[in-house]
Amino acid sequence: MDFDKLLKKKSVLSPWLFRINAGSCNGCDVELATTALIPRYDVERLGCHYTGSPRQADVVLITGPLTRRIRDKVLRVWEEIPQPKITVAVGLCPISGGVFREGYAIDGPLDKYIPVDVNVPGCPPRPQAIMEAVVLARQLWLKKLGVEE
Amino acid sequence: MASYLKILLRNLIQGPSTDPFPAGPTFEPDSIRGKIRIDPELCMGCGICVHNCVSNALHLERREDGHTLTCWDNLCCRCATCVMFCPMKAITLLPDWHTAHYQDDKYARIEQKSVTYEPCSVCGKKMRPVPAALLKKLYAGKTDVDAERLTHVCPDCRQLEDSKRNIGQLPA
Repeated sequence: MDFDKLLKKKSVLSPWLFRINAGSCNGCDVELATTALIPRYDVERLGCHYTGSPRQADVVLITGPLTRRIRDKVLRVWEEIPQPKITVAVGLCPISGGVFREGYAIDGPLDKYIPVDVNVPGCPPRPQAIMEAVVLARQLWLKKLGVEE
Repeated sequence: MASYLKILLRNLIQGPSTDPFPAGPTFEPDSIRGKIRIDPELCMGCGICVHNCVSNALHLERREDGHTLTCWDNLCCRCATCVMFCPMKAITLLPDWHTAHYQDDKYARIEQKSVTYEPCSVCGKKMRPVPAALLKKLYAGKTDVDAERLTHVCPDCRQLEDSKRNIGQLPA
């Protein structure tokens, strides 16, 4: 087995997560922190791990309705994440705008600018719902890598 | 010291506190608010839910021969204001919190219910058949009214009938 294939197979164990706050009210961010940090919904059982750098990330979780002020910064950070990446829209706001829909400061929904792969609506979604989304994202990521479990 | 040992011993016996969720079952509180469900038997099409909807997720289309109430699940913030304001209790929130889905299903996640209007048995005008439960409430204690027949009598004709019935019972 050549080195590339071995690396691919080993990296399957750990899709690293990266969070982008695109103008969120912090509700979804608290739920995201909950899924990872407290022992009850331990997301590290799936091999996922929050990273501080976009260049190490595989799955990007975006919260917030994409405000006009933060749009270019979000796009810049999103471009830095290497392919193949899975974009997960967490909460109502990035999916449709939610309660902020059609506000003057909102430039969403997110899929106007970024190809979203998995949605998890809710205001905010339950930690378990976010876990489901991470499981879906992981399956899609494996498919993109060409490695099936 | 002793209390700490007690906690340690309890944790040893109980095992891990991690929810086995993606692999096993999870808990859900009784009051959890999930997907919206519209009951077409009860919806009268008054539109108070649309008026009060926080995120404009509900849409009511009024036609000559009926009305359609639509809710896009990806816009509904589960505040349950519609449930509170619905005078017929036609809207309920299910405890279904499984919301994660792929992008392809984004616009397929709607709850849409239509009500067809039927002609009034007296004047023939198109009207929404009155639910039997509502008529029972309206004519509670009136034995001389056939509530079964009134389900297909439009509000104008019903008002006329009620007036005709009541005119002889007015106090002198």
